[in-house]
Amino acid sequence: MLAALVFLLLMVFGLLMRAAQGGLVALAPDLFYRILTVHGAGMVGTAGLSGAAIMWFFVNRHVPLSHAVYVAFLALFLAGVVSILGAVFAGGFAGAWTFLYPLPAVSGGAWDPLAAVVFLLGYVAIGVGFLLLHLDIGRALISAWGSIPRALGWPLVFGRGGEAPPPTVIAAMAVTIFNTIGIVVGAAVLISSIVNLVFPGFAVDALLAKNMIYFFGHVFINASIYMAVIAVYEIVPEYTGMPWKATRLFAATWSVVLLFVMAVYPHHLLQDVPLPGWTMVVGQVLSYYSGIPVIAVTAWSLLVYLRRAQSLAWDLPLALLVLGVAGWSAGVVPAVIDAIVAVNRVMHNTLWVPGHFHTYLLLGEVAMAFGFLLRLAAGERFRSFTGFDRTALVLYLAGGIGLVLTFLISGAASIPRRFAVHLPDWQPLALIGAVAASLTVAGALLVVLRALSSPRAREAA
Amino acid sequence: MQPVVLIITVLAMAAIAAVFAWAIWAPPGAVDPERAERWRIRTIVALTLAGVVLAAMTLVPWPHAPQAGPTPGIVVHARGYQWYWELDRDTVPAGTPVTFLASTADVTHGFGVADPQGRLLFQVQVIPGYVSRVDWTFDRPGTYRVICLEYCGIAHHEMMGQLTVQPGV
Ligand code: HEM
Ligand SMILES: [Cu+2]
Ligand SMILES: [Cu+2]
Repeated sequence: MLAALVFLLLMVFGLLMRAAQGGLVALAPDLFYRILTVHGAGMVGTAGLSGAAIMWFFVNRHVPLSHAVYVAFLALFLAGVVSILGAVFAGGFAGAWTFLYPLPAVSGGAWDPLAAVVFLLGYVAIGVGFLLLHLDIGRALISAWGSIPRALGWPLVFGRGGEAPPPTVIAAMAVTIFNTIGIVVGAAVLISSIVNLVFPGFAVDALLAKNMIYFFGHVFINASIYMAVIAVYEIVPEYTGMPWKATRLFAATWSVVLLFVMAVYPHHLLQDVPLPGWTMVVGQVLSYYSGIPVIAVTAWSLLVYLRRAQSLAWDLPLALLVLGVAGWSAGVVPAVIDAIVAVNRVMHNTLWVPGHFHTYLLLGEVAMAFGFLLRLAAGERFRSFTGFDRTALVLYLAGGIGLVLTFLISGAASIPRRFAVHLPDWQPLALIGAVAASLTVAGALLVVLRALSSPRAREAA
Repeated sequence: MQPVVLIITVLAMAAIAAVFAWAIWAPPGAVDPERAERWRIRTIVALTLAGVVLAAMTLVPWPHAPQAGPTPGIVVHARGYQWYWELDRDTVPAGTPVTFLASTADVTHGFGVADPQGRLLFQVQVIPGYVSRVDWTFDRPGTYRVICLEYCGIAHHEMMGQLTVQPGV
């Protein structure tokens, strides 16, 4: 619930940025970039938070987890949010969520190094919270299934029979492994950046730091989607009456995903020509192959279950969960295309990039998280699909499609991302985007109101 | 290239949306789970093979300039500062190979060049401590825009310069 309110607030920030780029509202560039930093860091963090909440909730149904660790996770998250907000709004930090070394320390006089230190410490706090959570989940899964390979379903994959773990267990085990590795690498580059801020004599290789940042950033944001999809595995069967089965293909796919998520990050560095060419080949080729599991395994299974169900009682939570998988699948397309080195050369760091990731975050991860939240808040099925619910869904979806299409078209028109001020030629697209964004915000507001008015709203908080 | 990329992308996204819409709204019919599995495996195999073809088509010839080795034509050194570009020459002839050697004095920047219509031709990341090379032959004279394509601080959007391409001899 908390996560949903934060999503809503940050969406308003997003709307504000698009309106500023359209020349509709006047935002001083430094304020624009501070809002961009908070929107980026906040959305990525909240996506992680909502994904983790989904994973924790369902894993806890299979194996008991520590409530104390969960509370510590939330407390550390909150501490991180407070220091990030303080660093940005009080300290003026506007280094973007990617804190690309050495920008936090070399701001051209825009912010104090102290603000950068506080910002990065906020990340460290959040990272420690996630580590605790993953370690607890890893511990519980290993003790219940005997070993990591068993929890990943390897006996099934390699034809040695045995009982397959539930989908949630396989997914949680895989995410726990790669997100832990991602966060440890993230922590290393965060600490180096902090030491560099405090002792400027301590310099880091900028290209190495960039590799580590993007490894961490890529793994973390992907983990949020892979955790959120657990809600689909667990909730959709309540509607179809058919359990989501962990087949051999399912288990094998998750092990492949576990490797691909970590190996594919060079697709963020396709224009970093000092890197060896083979890293770019890996980035391009694995990006394409990472899309196949989403489309041919997750989306395919979902659609087959939906078609096989005798009578489906559609309601808002189910619709949002299905939308989440659809948005994730559709978002694969512009992502894979941008990961082609030759295309990336003219699309990288244009608005194409926000175009693809808003598709699988706004219409993907967040839709799944909203679906989960409503399901939790309702306690039982909604029973009906009211006019209010339909309005919420249509606004959210129509606005979301409008927003991502205007981003993609802007990218194809070579309009750069992260520009506080847009040239007059570029402004009409930003304005259309802002209109679409306001529809999405309205839709999200209705979803949140619906959750607040549900019988178990307080527990779902 | 960009318009083609946009059209292919939007069509593929629409196709995925259409499959979802079909699965949701088509009148319920018997679905044979085994048949669905067979088709799933075929789809995976087809997509896997298509990936090999796509990689071969787009990676050969290699899209980036060699980073070391001889420079056949004119060399332009571009240096990025917060927040402006410094080019050691701002005029080049059309039809002659140009090698850009981009570097930075402070943080990471992105060296990008757009044609007179504003369409991006290429870009390369410029990382502290490294020199990034791009080879390009301009075929039309005109005023080209040099921009920064990596967020480099609060005046990142002001980091624009010009490059004039004169008719070749
Ligand atoms: C109404 C909904 C939303 C609107 C209007 C919106 C708008 C924007 C805008 C205008 C930008 C800056 C684009 C630029 O580079 O010029 C942006 C960046 C971004 N957005 Fe959103 N957004 C929305 C929802 C979301 C959601 C739900 C997420 C993730 C869960 C998200 C994650 C991000 C991230 C990670 C960035 C990149 C920040 C950066 O470049 O540093 N956004 N968004
Ligand atoms: Cu990525
Ligand atoms: Cu810049």
